[in-house]
Amino acid sequence: MIFRLVCVAFAICLGLSAARAQAPATPLQDVLQQNADAVANPSRGTVDSLIAALLESDLDGVPVFLERWRDRAVYQRVSDGLFFFGTATDGGFDLTDVDTGADAGRATSTEVSELRPNAGVRRVIGGALVAFQLLDNDPARRVAALDAIARSPSDDQLGPLRRSIEDEPDPALKDRKIRLERLLAARYAESEAERITAIESLRGDLGVDARAVLNLILTSSPAVFATMPTDRNIAAVLTPGSDDLSEEAAYDQLVSADLAPPLTGVEPIKAALIAAIDGGQVAGIPVASLTTDDARESAYEALAAAGAVPPLVTLEDQAASLATHSFVLLYAEPNKAITDAARETLDAIGMQVARNQAADLALDGLSLASIYFLAAIGLAITFGVMGVINMAHGEFIMMGAYTGYVVQLFIPDYTLSLIVALPLAFAVTFGAGVAMERLVIRWLYHRPLETLLATFGISIALQQLAKNIFGTQARPLTSPAWLSGNLTFNEVVSISMIRVAIFVLALMFLGLLIYILKRTRLGLEVRAVTQNPGMAASMGINPDRINMLTFGLGSGIAGIAGVAIGLYAKVTSEMGSEYIVQSFMTVVVGGVGNVWGTLAGATLIGFLQKGIEFFNPSNTLAAQTFMILFIILFIQFRPKGIVALKGRAAGD
Amino acid sequence: MTKKTKFAALAAAAIVASAGTASAQDCPIKVGVLHSLSGSMAISETTLKDVMLMLVEQQNAKGGLLGCQLEAVVVDPASDWPLFAEKARELLTVNEVDVIFGNWTSVSRKSVLPVIEELNGLLFYPVQYEGEESSRNVFYTGAAPNQQAIPATDYFLEELGVEKFALLGTDYVYPRTTNNILESYLISKGIAKEDIFVNYTPFGHSDWATIVADVVALGADGKQVGVISTINGDANIGFYKELAAAGVSAEDIPVVAFSVGEEELSGLDTSELVGHLAAWNYFMSADTPANAEFITAWKAFAGEDRVTNDPMEAHYIGFNMWVNAVTAAETTDVDTVRSAMYGQEFPNLTGGTAVMLPNHHLAKPVLIGEIRADGQFDIITQTPEVEGDAWTDYLPESAVLTSDWKELGCGMYNTETKTCVQLTSNY
Amino acid sequence: MTRSFIAKNPSVLWFLLALSVFSIAVTLLSEATGTGLISTSFVKTLGKTLCLCLIAIAMDVVWGYCGILSLGHFAFFGLGGYAIGMWLMYARTELIVVESLANAALPPTDKEVVDAIASQIFGVVGASEFPLIWSFAHSLTLQLAMVVLVPGLLALVFGWLAFRSRVTGVYLSILTQAMTLALSLYLFQNDSGLRGNNGLSGLQNIPGLDAVPQSVISIAFFWASAVALGVGYVLFAWVVSGKMGSVIRAIRDNESRVRFLGYHVESYKLFVFTLTAIVAAIAGALYYPQAGIINPAEIAPIASIYLAVWVAIGGRGRLYGAVIGAAFVSLLSSWFTGGSAPAVNLGFYTINWTDWWLVLLGVSFVAVTLFFPKGIGGLFDLIVLKPVADRQGDYGPDKGAWRKEEGEP
Repeated sequence: MIFRLVCVAFAICLGLSAARAQAPATPLQDVLQQNADAVANPSRGTVDSLIAALLESDLDGVPVFLERWRDRAVYQRVSDGLFFFGTATDGGFDLTDVDTGADAGRATSTEVSELRPNAGVRRVIGGALVAFQLLDNDPARRVAALDAIARSPSDDQLGPLRRSIEDEPDPALKDRKIRLERLLAARYAESEAERITAIESLRGDLGVDARAVLNLILTSSPAVFATMPTDRNIAAVLTPGSDDLSEEAAYDQLVSADLAPPLTGVEPIKAALIAAIDGGQVAGIPVASLTTDDARESAYEALAAAGAVPPLVTLEDQAASLATHSFVLLYAEPNKAITDAARETLDAIGMQVARNQAADLALDGLSLASIYFLAAIGLAITFGVMGVINMAHGEFIMMGAYTGYVVQLFIPDYTLSLIVALPLAFAVTFGAGVAMERLVIRWLYHRPLETLLATFGISIALQQLAKNIFGTQARPLTSPAWLSGNLTFNEVVSISMIRVAIFVLALMFLGLLIYILKRTRLGLEVRAVTQNPGMAASMGINPDRINMLTFGLGSGIAGIAGVAIGLYAKVTSEMGSEYIVQSFMTVVVGGVGNVWGTLAGATLIGFLQKGIEFFNPSNTLAAQTFMILFIILFIQFRPKGIVALKGRAAGD
Repeated sequence: MTKKTKFAALAAAAIVASAGTASAQDCPIKVGVLHSLSGSMAISETTLKDVMLMLVEQQNAKGGLLGCQLEAVVVDPASDWPLFAEKARELLTVNEVDVIFGNWTSVSRKSVLPVIEELNGLLFYPVQYEGEESSRNVFYTGAAPNQQAIPATDYFLEELGVEKFALLGTDYVYPRTTNNILESYLISKGIAKEDIFVNYTPFGHSDWATIVADVVALGADGKQVGVISTINGDANIGFYKELAAAGVSAEDIPVVAFSVGEEELSGLDTSELVGHLAAWNYFMSADTPANAEFITAWKAFAGEDRVTNDPMEAHYIGFNMWVNAVTAAETTDVDTVRSAMYGQEFPNLTGGTAVMLPNHHLAKPVLIGEIRADGQFDIITQTPEVEGDAWTDYLPESAVLTSDWKELGCGMYNTETKTCVQLTSNY
Repeated sequence: MTRSFIAKNPSVLWFLLALSVFSIAVTLLSEATGTGLISTSFVKTLGKTLCLCLIAIAMDVVWGYCGILSLGHFAFFGLGGYAIGMWLMYARTELIVVESLANAALPPTDKEVVDAIASQIFGVVGASEFPLIWSFAHSLTLQLAMVVLVPGLLALVFGWLAFRSRVTGVYLSILTQAMTLALSLYLFQNDSGLRGNNGLSGLQNIPGLDAVPQSVISIAFFWASAVALGVGYVLFAWVVSGKMGSVIRAIRDNESRVRFLGYHVESYKLFVFTLTAIVAAIAGALYYPQAGIINPAEIAPIASIYLAVWVAIGGRGRLYGAVIGAAFVSLLSSWFTGGSAPAVNLGFYTINWTDWWLVLLGVSFVAVTLFFPKGIGGLFDLIVLKPVADRQGDYGPDKGAWRKEEGEP
């Protein structure tokens, strides 16, 4: 077996050298073959030396190779280990030579293996390409170079970047280059004045990278001294026991700097006692009696008195050592003028960032409120106006979302499918709502509790039906490109377009509903039937028809809400049940019988949840729990909700 | 002859025939399948039930086991955790199965553990889990944290140079414990505690805007940020959609997920997510003959559009190891089979060989894949086999514990005091 | 008061008789004490069903008699389970820890024992210290008191707040639902100190009874559940009969009139709400040691809605109806979802009951509300003709009032 391997290897070598002899010069391939393993299995540890070797060779093909390598267009032929550029074409790969670009034939996926540099390696490659790409004619390459600088800035980029600014034709790119130059100069420029100017020019810049640069300049590390030094750039003096530095942490610093002995804690005492057990006794004390910490401590002291162990170091000793030392944070940057400038600029930015973050949080709250409002608005009609408890409301939302999914199956264009899906979802859920009203709910008017249970039955049946038809796995509902981006106000305040769309949709529905209820004949009749069906009927209104239409309208709106919610989150059979309790609470908190109330309820709940999340950002679940608790308490003290109806309209 | 009597006659003949060949073994050998076929876990677990049926069918086609046919006994615990215990008891006492393949989620396993241990059953658990457990009666064929989470974190540290970590998870046991382990692992690697941001969200969470904004803002101190996601199931869809909307590319803030596989990605458009990562012991895109054969058999059995995933491979390995162990032991007696399991070897679908260790875990390779636009993964790195560790080395309470059922006969052995803490598992 | 309680409620005797016959039959057929025809796992199922029947009669009293549709009684059930589960876990772990520490070189301090128990229990969820709510977990007596006190207090405070501000009808239902949701979300958090999503497990292993096989323990719990159900039935039958029962039913049908008559409606409602909550908690404390594990999913809002469904299907306003509803639907449900129900082949489609059971349940529920408001219990009216007051029109204007169809014999 081994013999055969050797033979094969020998044959390959022969073959290779024979090929070399005849073929034209392949300098790049040679360099690559010398580093074959690093090229084929790139890793951040090996890529630096490989790139150094490639750059050192000073070959023309190196930038192109690096680019293709980064973009996963380089392949290694399994049979001889040679590297080729390749493009995947139906079922195989067209290979070209790395040196000459000459056609090197086709290969199947088993004959070549694709080289896949990971993201870390790609970043290093991008950094190496900067020098070649900054002045490239292709704007895309220049963008790539700037991206690379932004991702991994280094001092050697400052020169080439400065030189490239002058000739940059694209104004947008030029601005970006100037900004990047400021960022690099703040850290790497030669003179102090130059750096301070650059630092101060960052004032007002909200970008994460600007703060990153300033924070990096202000990098500090803890240190401990017996006497306070005067020649160091001190960031802050810390007092042990304060919020910035606990006593334990401070003492740990002392111990690790060998300035104090470690505290004798419970575990060391235990270990020392166990080591000293002698015939069932420790220092003359029977082992069986050592069942409290005090007993163990005195046994240890007895051992210490006998000189068998180091003396006990107690909390008093710790406090004494802490008092005789100074704890400081030291800047890595020795120049105080620079750190002062950076500190000042960063503080100024920090204030601005905090203001903008508050604005961003408010925007998130607004968006959450509009989502709750959209989910609840159908319920505001069926429950709020008609007084029907529809537990299947969430399932109408789900039906709308699945309608959107099915439409996308048939219409691949996302914009068009959305235009079709919205009215279709309305139609589907309108129909479902009318059917439900006719078959079930109208028999149960005035029996709200029974309606609750009957509609709950419908809800579980619909949910299971959706599972049987579509499966339990989430289905994709993809938003069109113009809805998939972000609306950016500045570097801190931004919101995704789909949320903006939901906000607009919620506003539209609000307007539409107010209009229908207050300005149309239907609305008048709805209000009449809700207040007094008997009297309304005497006036020639058909209550049956009005109830049916109103319920259909509420359900139809839930369907449209479903499409929107599906676009922003997910489409599953259980999506409706996530919104149902929330939606009821929105309506109840806001005040039943009033669309404005629902708006107020959604706003309160949305902002409240975001507010609680802000105070406890690591636990979203807690925010939801507290929000529900708040709602429970709120209803106790204001049972009619925020916007309570007064007089006869209140019913009861 | 009606169909029924024909069947009876055939059955009788089969019994006579098997009585002739079988030794002490009762025929047929029963294989319990304890996976939810309804409820919230059904989508994941139904696939595993189908895999088990396929494996049993394949084994029967090869002539069964010990001269007996295998019979799969399928029950449905309906994603209801107490029901898992009830059904496990039913399988062991009423159906008298010889082995159980099943469960998904830690809580279902913890529910079953007391029953399995009381009745001395045998369970193969195929899903990645948080470790910190070792039962005499369970073989863990999924990944322990050091076979998934730790290598992925190493990849972040070494290859991507991540200096600041956001650990995002769904609020339940697997993310909690995994993140605890990762936190102390990262601290041991010199990452400051302030540079680890932890967040837990409920199951099915959809409002991700603030959290994504928080993660982006982590970069303000100039450190490379990376996200380690233990977000479960549906919630991933909203999370990835928000990431894409916020324009967070894998180049800027890479995300590595431990619970996102081929199945989960089918719920969304992955073109915006290209380059984000997942860590598993198996990817469908693994390019080996064994995998190609497995995928072909699976598609023929279950349908053309079905995908394969990591827990399926775990069952594939577990089942075949059990078959080999039974063959070696010449009985299905639990204790004998258990001893025969140690050191069992079986080829992985991704290449290399899985070995069953005395701590009831497998030695398996760890793969890291980048999401492709078609919902599959490009395998970026593949480590050599990593030995599964029941008790993590990175938490002080667990570092002193070890599990060795072969030599020490104990799953929770304290190496400091040299005593066995307990023989039953901690549930 | 001439006629005795029993004479006025003949159904109590019949019920107790049926319950005893059933319990003795199960005992005779079980593995531990009889022929072994009924497997241990089925004995556990039956025992659990008895607990569900107990909470169902509690629900019936609060809804069917008092007209409060509480969608939160499973919260109390769960709290009872958690309370007993804490002791079961603590005591079981303590035995293990003490045994393993006995071998240590130094005898353990009390703190070491407690720390070891904590890291055993919470190691699973990445913590190692006891939260405050476990302060009483070491004592069975205290923790049994917790079974009653915690849910009782919660019900008292919640009910006081809600009834005081006259939250009624649907609002109250939504409010109780919000309460369960908040509680289950709270318990889902790991920080709540009750092991988050994992909950408390291994509850079927009773501390100190390692040597007793589960077949015996299951029969013991079965009997405990049967006794609890019997006592609960008598208690509630007594509560809803007599003068207090009349007031309670009057509140259901027309709360304002009762108030105008001078009764303090809030106190009656609060009494019923709290009492049923306590009974629900006791049912939970008996249920979860049989189920083996309790976790927050058990008290999700849907569980309480199912409870209302059982009562409605069984027939509200009659205690045996609630028992029948709970037993019938929960056993049928486990039969259908268990995969043992035969699939129906329609030629073009095969109905697989694991997939279609919920659809059937949902539809049958709509059917019951629409067409059979008396539920299954209504069948008994065909046998026993009860004299019913001659009432005109519907029974009352209140949201929870009976419907005319329910009152007819």
